[in-house]
Amino acid sequence: MSTTIASLPTAPVPLRADDTMTENQVGPLSRTDFVRYAGAGGDLNPIHHDDEFARAAGMPSVFGMGMLHAGILGTRLARWVGPNSIRTFTVRFSGQVWPGDVLTFAGHVDAVDEQLAEISMTVTRQTGDVAMSAKATVLVA
Amino acid sequence: MIDPSIKGQELDSVSFPIDRSKLVELARAFHDDDATWYDIAAATEAGFSELPVPPTVSALVDHWRPGGALSTATAIGADLARILHGEASWEYHAPVRVGDELTATSSVSDVVTREGKRGGTMTMVMIETRFTRTDGTLVVVRNDTLIETGAPA
Repeated sequence: MSTTIASLPTAPVPLRADDTMTENQVGPLSRTDFVRYAGAGGDLNPIHHDDEFARAAGMPSVFGMGMLHAGILGTRLARWVGPNSIRTFTVRFSGQVWPGDVLTFAGHVDAVDEQLAEISMTVTRQTGDVAMSAKATVLVA
Repeated sequence: MIDPSIKGQELDSVSFPIDRSKLVELARAFHDDDATWYDIAAATEAGFSELPVPPTVSALVDHWRPGGALSTATAIGADLARILHGEASWEYHAPVRVGDELTATSSVSDVVTREGKRGGTMTMVMIETRFTRTDGTLVVVRNDTLIETGAPA
């Protein structure tokens, strides 16, 4: 499941404090999703695609690379505020993402001044655990 | 085990292209099939003068590191069984464009050690990677925090 959303803004968009990103879900994640990002992004750490290796390392199974959900969140942010409007993007990883997970991508405008908006975002598993929190500074219209 | 004296050490410098065939792979990996991300006709139609790129596009450099995404952890002497990616951040200075040849230069910007909650010493290593065009224009600065958790006693 993956929700398709509005077209990508070509220029900064108007944003106000407490505006929210259209909530978006991705999942249930499969091993194929991890392998697709491994090939696209170049992260071939076997802990993300080889269950035998992951179990030997003490994990119940393979798990998703953080740069996969960071990348998904980045594209959702770009779709909200425009890919060329983003000035900074920071992600903090707080837990793993597992096969079968359904992730919810959410974002909120914390503050806006004349030129820039401060945005907070989260990636939450279906369990309610936050797998990643993020911040961004973006140009506003 | 990471030696804290690596602070300030230069790591690698890698050049790599931004090409459309990787952009389509990234778009699909990110569950966003909009052709605006990889088809110049669709991007033009949408009002872009260049193909837009996702905010994490600079990760493509990992394909050009001989040891892949793990090569930085290896280069700093981390125990790969205990290394975690804590944080990543990007500052955008100029657009990344299809056709650009970027050079990524990495260095260890800081090393912090502290006693871990479960015993052993936890080491946090900050890596700064500067991405420049061939004319020297700085386009992206990426900072990563890698955490080596304490070794079990």
